[in-house]
Formats: sequence, C-alpha cells, structure tokens
Amino acid sequence: MQAEKQSSSLARQILKSATESSLIPFLAILTAVIVGGIIISIVGGNPFQAYRGLIEGSLGSQKALSETAVWATPYIFAGLAVALAFKGGLFNIGAEGQLALGAVFSSLIGYALPGWLGFDLPTIIHLPLAIIVGMIAGGIWAGVVGALKAYTGGHEVINTIMMNYIALNTTSFLLNGIMKDKSPTNVIARTPMIADSARIPTIFEGLRVHWGFLLALLVAFFIWWLLTKTTLGFEIRTVGLNPDAAKYAGINVKRTITLTMVFSGMLAGLAGAIEVTGLNFRHELGFSIGYGFDAIAIALLGKSHPLGVVLAAILFAAMRNGATRMQFITQLPVDLISMLQAFILLFVAADAIVRYIYRVKSKGERVVLTRGWGG
Amino acid sequence: MKKLYLVLAALIIASMVLSACGTAPSAEDCASPDVFCVGLVTDVGKINDKSFNQSAWEGVQKAQTDGVADVVQYIETTDAKDYAKNIAQFGDAGYDAIVTVGFALGEATVAAAATYPDIHFIGVDQFQAETTEGVSGLNFPEDNAGFLVGALAAMMSESHKIGAVCGTDVVPPVWRFGEGYKAGAAYADAQNGTTTEVFVVYHSDVGFDKTFTDPEWGAQTAKSMMDQGADAIFGCGGITGNGAITAAAQAGAYAIGVDTDQYLTLPEAAPRMLSSAMKLITPGVAKLIAAVKDGTIESGNVFGDAGYAPFHDLEASVPAEVKTAMETINTGLLDGSIKTDVPPVKP
Amino acid sequence: MDWKRFSFIALVIIVLFGAVVMVGQSQQRPILIITSMLATTIAVATPLTLGALSGVFCERSGVVNIGIEGMMLSAAFFGWLAAIYMFHVFGFPIGISITVGALFAVITGGLMGLLLAVLSITFNVDQIIGGTVINILAVGLTGFLNRQLFFGKGSVFGGQVPNSPGVLPTIHIPIREIFAPLCSDSIICIENIRAINRVFDQKPIAMGAVLLVFIAHFILFKTRWGLRTRSVGEHPKAADTVGINVFKMRYANVIIGGCLAGLAGAYFTIESVPSFEPLLTNGRGFISLAAMIFGNWTPIGAWAAALVFGASQALQINMQLFRESIPPQWAFLQQSYVVGLAPYILTMLILTGIIGKTTPPAADGVPYEK
Repeated sequence: MQAEKQSSSLARQILKSATESSLIPFLAILTAVIVGGIIISIVGGNPFQAYRGLIEGSLGSQKALSETAVWATPYIFAGLAVALAFKGGLFNIGAEGQLALGAVFSSLIGYALPGWLGFDLPTIIHLPLAIIVGMIAGGIWAGVVGALKAYTGGHEVINTIMMNYIALNTTSFLLNGIMKDKSPTNVIARTPMIADSARIPTIFEGLRVHWGFLLALLVAFFIWWLLTKTTLGFEIRTVGLNPDAAKYAGINVKRTITLTMVFSGMLAGLAGAIEVTGLNFRHELGFSIGYGFDAIAIALLGKSHPLGVVLAAILFAAMRNGATRMQFITQLPVDLISMLQAFILLFVAADAIVRYIYRVKSKGERVVLTRGWGG
Repeated sequence: MKKLYLVLAALIIASMVLSACGTAPSAEDCASPDVFCVGLVTDVGKINDKSFNQSAWEGVQKAQTDGVADVVQYIETTDAKDYAKNIAQFGDAGYDAIVTVGFALGEATVAAAATYPDIHFIGVDQFQAETTEGVSGLNFPEDNAGFLVGALAAMMSESHKIGAVCGTDVVPPVWRFGEGYKAGAAYADAQNGTTTEVFVVYHSDVGFDKTFTDPEWGAQTAKSMMDQGADAIFGCGGITGNGAITAAAQAGAYAIGVDTDQYLTLPEAAPRMLSSAMKLITPGVAKLIAAVKDGTIESGNVFGDAGYAPFHDLEASVPAEVKTAMETINTGLLDGSIKTDVPPVKP
Repeated sequence: MDWKRFSFIALVIIVLFGAVVMVGQSQQRPILIITSMLATTIAVATPLTLGALSGVFCERSGVVNIGIEGMMLSAAFFGWLAAIYMFHVFGFPIGISITVGALFAVITGGLMGLLLAVLSITFNVDQIIGGTVINILAVGLTGFLNRQLFFGKGSVFGGQVPNSPGVLPTIHIPIREIFAPLCSDSIICIENIRAINRVFDQKPIAMGAVLLVFIAHFILFKTRWGLRTRSVGEHPKAADTVGINVFKMRYANVIIGGCLAGLAGAYFTIESVPSFEPLLTNGRGFISLAAMIFGNWTPIGAWAAALVFGASQALQINMQLFRESIPPQWAFLQQSYVVGLAPYILTMLILTGIIGKTTPPAADGVPYEK
C-alpha cells in the first residue's frame, strides 16, 4: 500500500517535471500559432485552412511523415553542429558552407572513386567512405576557423561568414568545372550521379525516408553522451563557460577550441554527406539554401541540448514540409513559415513574455547559451 | 495554476471548434474528366519574380480567363529536393496539365510523366534531349533575342561601348542571351564598319538563390560600365538585371529589358527603355495548355517565339535605317539566313 | 584604430585597385579606371558602413547585435512601402514621398532596435537569440507582406506592383565648374576632372554615411554621452555605482543602432534601386558585422573595413569588364567565382593577427542584472 502510493507519487513527480519543462515551449508554440493566425486573417487568408494544410502536409499520411523525416535529417545534423559549437562557447555561422563542402566531397567519392580505382567497391566500404570523406571535409573547413580562433584570435563569427562565401564560390567553381556532369544532356552545374554502392537504402519501400534519419538520431545520442559523459565533453563545456577557469584547471584551451570547431564542422559536413548519399545522389548548385541559418534557430530553440535539437529539427522540418500542402490548399506564400518560426523562436527565447501571458511562475533558472564575442 | 489550466482548456477547445468550422477548400473535383485543372510548380523562386516564373503563371492564368482551364493553382518550390513532392501534389489531386518552370525541374518532370501517364506536362525552358511521352519542353531561341538587341545597341551607341548585366551563366538561357548580345553587336559592326566594345558581366560569384535577385549589384555593375563609357545597357537576369536597367535609365543611357516588354513592367525605366529582348513565355504557355485540352499537344520540344520589343518613347530617336536594319536581321534570324552561332549550352 | 591597421587597409585597397589598373590599362586610362572604382567602392560601402555603425553603437553599450541584416531588410521594405503609399494612395508629390519613405525606413530600423532592446535588456533574452529572431522575422514578414499586399486576388494593389516614386537624386559637387578653367582647352584634362568629379557626386545617404562616421566617432569618444555609453559597455557595475542608468543607456544606444541599420536599409530601396525584392540585402548585414569587428569596434575603423569590402566588389565588377585583357596564363581569373574569393580570403588573412588582436567591449553580450 505504502509502496504503491510512493511509486504513484514518483510517477506524478516525473510527469510533473516533464510537463513543466515542456510547458513553456508548448505555450510558446501555441502563442506563435495564434499570433500567426491573426496575421493570416488580417491579410485576408483563412488560418484554419492554412494550419490544416500544414498538419496534413507534414503528418497527414505515410508519405507526409516520411517527407518530414527527410527534411528533419539535415536539420538534426546541422542543428547539432551549431549547438555543439555553442556549448564550446563558439558561434558557428558557417554551417552552410561546411555542409556544402561535405556534400561536394561526399559526391566526389560517390561518383569518381570506382573510376579511379578501376573496380567497383562493395557498399560496405564505399558508402561509409563517401560519408566519412564528406564529414572530414566539413571538419577541416571549420577546423581552420577553430585554429585561427585559438592560435591567432581571429574571430570565428567573421571567419565562418568568410569561409561560407569561399565555400560557395569554390563549390560553384568545382561544379561548373572539373566536377560537372559531362553527359551531353546535362546543362546544370551539378555532379554526376553517385554509384549505387554509395547510396543509403530507404527504410520503407516506396518512401524516401532513409537510414540516414536513424543515423541522425544516433548521432544526437552520441553527442549527448560525448558532452555529458566524457572528459572531452567536460572540457568543451568548461571552455565554453569560462575559458580562463578552464586554463587554470589545466585544460588545453586552444586544443579544445580547435577540436570543438572540428567536431561542429564534421556534423555539418555529415548533414551534406547524408543528403547526397541518402537523398539526392549528387550535389547540385542551389541545394542547401539556408540550412546553415535554419540550423542556428534550431540550436537555439533546442537550447543547445541534443534532445531539444532533435525535437526542434523535427518541428522545423514538419513546418517546411507541410508548407507545400498549405500553399496548395490556400495559395498563401510559403514565407509564412519563416514568420511562424520567428515567432516560435521569439516566444521560446523570451519566455518571460509567455510566462506573463499565461501566469506561469518562473523557477529562477536561466540557461546561458552564448557569451558575446569575448574569449 | 488553476487559471492557467482554464486558459489552456479554453484555448484548446476554441481552436478545435474553429478548425472544425474551417470549411474545406472549395476546389472542384480535378479528378473528374469535366473539370480541366492546371497546376504550376516554380523553380526555387517566387511566383511574383517579375520574370520567368511570373510570366509562366500569367500564361496559366490566361488559360483560365480564356475559358480553357477551370481550376489553376501554383506551388512555389523552396528547396530543390521538393520538386518531385510538389509535382505530386497536383498529380495526386488528378490535375490535367502541370507546368513546371525552369531547366532544373527537367528530370523531376520526366520522372513524374512516368508516374502520372494521364497528365500532360509542360516544361518551360526544359530542352528535351529525347522525347518523353507526356512531356512537352517549351524552349525559346534566347540567342536570337539577345542578337537582336545586341545589334540594336551597337547601332544606337554613340560611344561604341555597350554593356550587358546578366544573372549566372550557369543557366543556359541566360548565357544564350549574353552571348547572343555579343554576336549581334559583332554582326552590326561587320555591317556598318564600326568597332563596338561589348562588356558582358555574369553574376556568378554568389549562391544560386541570389544571382537573379540582387538589384543592388546589378545597379553598381551597370554604373561601372557607364563610367567606362558604355551608353546602352542590357539587363538580362531577373531582378539583378532590373537593377541594371533602372540604373542605366536614371543615368540617361539606353536601357534594354529582357523576357517581356519591360517598358510595361519597369515603369521607372520606361522613358529610356530602348527595347527588350523578348521570349514570349506567357502566350507560349497558354497556347500549350489549350493544346493539351484539345488533345493536339505533341511531346518533345516545342519552340516559342523570341523577338524585340517596340521602341515606345524612343520611337522618334531611332533612325529609319536602324529600324530597317532591325527588320532585316529579324527576318534573317527567322528564315535562318543569319545565324547567331551560339551553341545551346556553354561549352 | 592604430596606424598599423590603417596602413594595412590602405595597402589592401591599393593592391586591389592596382590589379585592375594593370589588367585594364590597355583598354582604359588608369585615372578613369581608378575614379570609376572609387565611385563604386563608396556606393557599395555605404550600407556596410551604416550597418557597421549600427553594430558599433549597440555593442559599445554592451548589446551584441547580429540582427543588422534583419533590421536592414525590414527597413528597406517598410521604407519602400511607405514611399509607395504616400505617392499612390495619398497622392503626395514624388520628393515628399521619397523623403517620408527614407524616414520610415529609419523608424522601422529604430523599432527593430527597440525590439532587440526589449528582448535583450528587459527580458534578458540571450542577445544572439534576439538578433536571430530579428533576422528570421524580417525574412518572413517582408516576404509574406510583399506577396500578400501586391500579388494575387484581393491584394491591395490588385496584383500589380505599383512603381515606386523613385530614388534620391545625386548631389552634384561643383568640382568640374571650379577646376575646369585651369585645364585651358586640354580635353584629357577636362575628362580627368569630370571623372574625379564623379567620385564626389554621390547620393545623400552615401554622403550622410561618411559624415555619420565622424559624428559617431565624435559622440563616442569626445562627449559625455559617449563616455557613459562606453562605460556601460565595459563595466556596467561601476557605471551603475557612479549613477549612470545602465538600462537607459543601453536602450538608447540600441535604438540609435537600429535607426542606423534602418538608414542602411533605406539605401537599398530609396537610394540605389526603386524596388524591393525578397532577401535583397543578401547577407550584407553579416558583412557589416564583419566590418565592425574588423574595425575593432570603432566608427572610423569600421568605415575603413567597409571600404575594403567595397573595393573588392569594385575589383570583381571591373575584372569582369576587362576580362578579355587578362593575360592567358592568368585565364582562371576570368571566372568570376575565382575573383570573387579575393575579399573573403583577404579579410581572413588580415584577421589572423597581422594587424593585431581585436578587443570587444568587456561587457559586450553580457546582460546586466542589478
């Protein structure tokens, strides 16, 4: 009897803490949806049809669910990339460029390696190789920025922005030149299709969702483990919170900063590599527009926690994916989605507003994600 | 806390009730054979781009006002990976014709034609290397249009320096406009014994999403050309080109538009608008939609019309011999006696 | 700003100009190339300068502003919209419509600044999040309204984008009139003076930006207001103890910063091209941010950095104009993506510390709690 009571109260406690931690984000999303709805009505649209379209398009069928997962995959990787950098006290605006380079090099291995070797590779070697090379490309790209930050003090925000432009130009150069698909029917700046042996299989027959989505979830778990259970993770977090203290504690701050950026870039590179090997099977100029910037919002929305990032990525993916259906039904512009996302981010970030509206008491804790430019 | 739950409950109930009330879209049943539905999928770009997406959509709307189509809808693509999904929205709803705009949708269109054999696809700017049943690629000889305005600019220029500000040369139609412009100027030089310096600048150093939407860059580039003495500027590249055209008009140089008669779409440049290199997307699309309904449509490549726009306000300042020469060139291009020698794709 | 940094920036600009002169001299007289590039440089640098000044004011008072891009974009849109409404709906003359448009852009920027201030100062929201919210919101709001107001059935203007009343006029500085008589009939001399005159004939916002650089420098370093602003950004606790209202100073400076970003937005739709396009700022807000850091949080330094970016854009445009004169062994330079890389690589090189470390205000990005 006593034990039963205890366990039920424990269950209630767990439930209570779960509701409490998800209450604010939930209310924030609700508020954003209401504000968005009001704006839609003001401009003469029908918010209920719009939201119905969004939900139908993102969750309404097997195909819709599959497409949401397809959108979520790069978002999870890129969101983790930005979140990991945040944990290390670094702001990686350059996920976009790292992602593009990851995609370029992954597709290079995907289509060219069998030709270089002169024989076909089995999937078990070719696919991981394509993914890893893409990942390393992203890692090196970001690692340069990390090393510049650690050893010369060059600011990572500017350097990642600059590296973004350099990556985009380099990609244009490669895709228009030596890496362009030479087949006579092709007029587009894109690589040839990658070999079958470098492709990630789909999970279900007839749907586009592939095993890369599960890999994304696994990687999110791995990042959580890395950050909370390992020495390296502890070092990253300590340097992120207070580099001076970290130095006194005997942590090699410079090495840690460089490594954080390398890991962050590897995650972004993975996003590109998985898009190539799992979905597009080639890299094309014009792909990956804005993932890097969406990733910043996702990392912020997920409070830089890997689980939060996964949930935020799925939310953003659902909205982007549902947008098509929404437009099909209502003919409202898809920019509506960006506006909704901004409101969600606004209300999650400014939880004081939400707490005020719904009279939820604050527990007085505050998560500091970023630390300005210092360090 | 109690208050909170009350507020929450009220909100949730309200939203459920209201969403139940939200009426279903009154879209007519496109699956029925009596209702002729046309859908349009844009390239990564907006439907109101004042350029090819918009022209194609106006063609679809024209089909509706002409009484050909009963229902018309569009979907804007925000990411290349959605091409197939967006086409499928229309396909699954049983549309009768689907217009896909831009060369980048070419493969997705061909693939969709296999999935939806009952639907006819119209691919704007999609050259069909081999004929696919159910797909008509609508193409335009942009090099001819560029050639015409290039010749015109060379004949009208007093400084014998002319310029073109274009979007990225990765897109074949844009490249054909630019190269046609050069060829046209060279042709006019050969005819008249002049030497014209031609500046052609492509905006290739930015992301694909930005190359056609950077009016500020277009304006600055046009100004640089005019600083070097150019007195006729051809803007070929969506909104980037519009920036160049407007800047040229403001500086008093000749402005030359692209795609449609931009005298009508860029009123701020109208007084100095010499002509436009036109590819007639809107009538081309409308015509093909009508053909789909009639059943007279043919798969494979269909060529639309290209030409140059009237001189409008500058009618009086164009000498009669230039007008005659333009007519001669246009006829020559149409009957094949004059060739631009511009290959379809950048080598 | 130290001399080392200035001489480096000067050197970079000279190299950029020199490269174009080398390539283009067979087609054009060097002086004409240089004046043309200078004119481009100043025009291109205008929004970057103003954006960077926006950052300087915000961050000197201790608030990180990565929302410059979003502030510019929304100001460009609402300024343009106001000009259109004034002209077409209310029927005001062109000059008044444009001026009101510019004013509205500045006000929009100020309101965006206020939003950032409310979020980061009152609600203690992480400042980077505040900026990101502004960036995303601006993209969504301007894209959505631009479409809903102007396109499709039932839109305010019936599906037609009405033409904007126009852009601000160029202000003529009478250099030509003063110096031309000295040339005594030499045509080349007159041409040169004309070309030099073109550099100085700029539009009001471009001229205003240069003035504002020096005004900002004066305010920040020579006035009590500036001293207070800087103390709030360096050491808010100490400032508070001597009776400076930290919150008020931060609010005021962030709103000033917003207005400056708003003026940068006005440059796009009121001064340069009379039309609005979604995403027309194209990342220039982020480049401004880079210019601000590059200039070590000083107005003059930020301006110099903005000029470097302007010069490199001028290089990229002019290299393409003279593409045919590029010697064959440098043929790869004909591709615009290769030339386009130069400014970014240069920036990174400069940042590696050849010119010394940049030091942000000590309390930049740190929320102040009593």
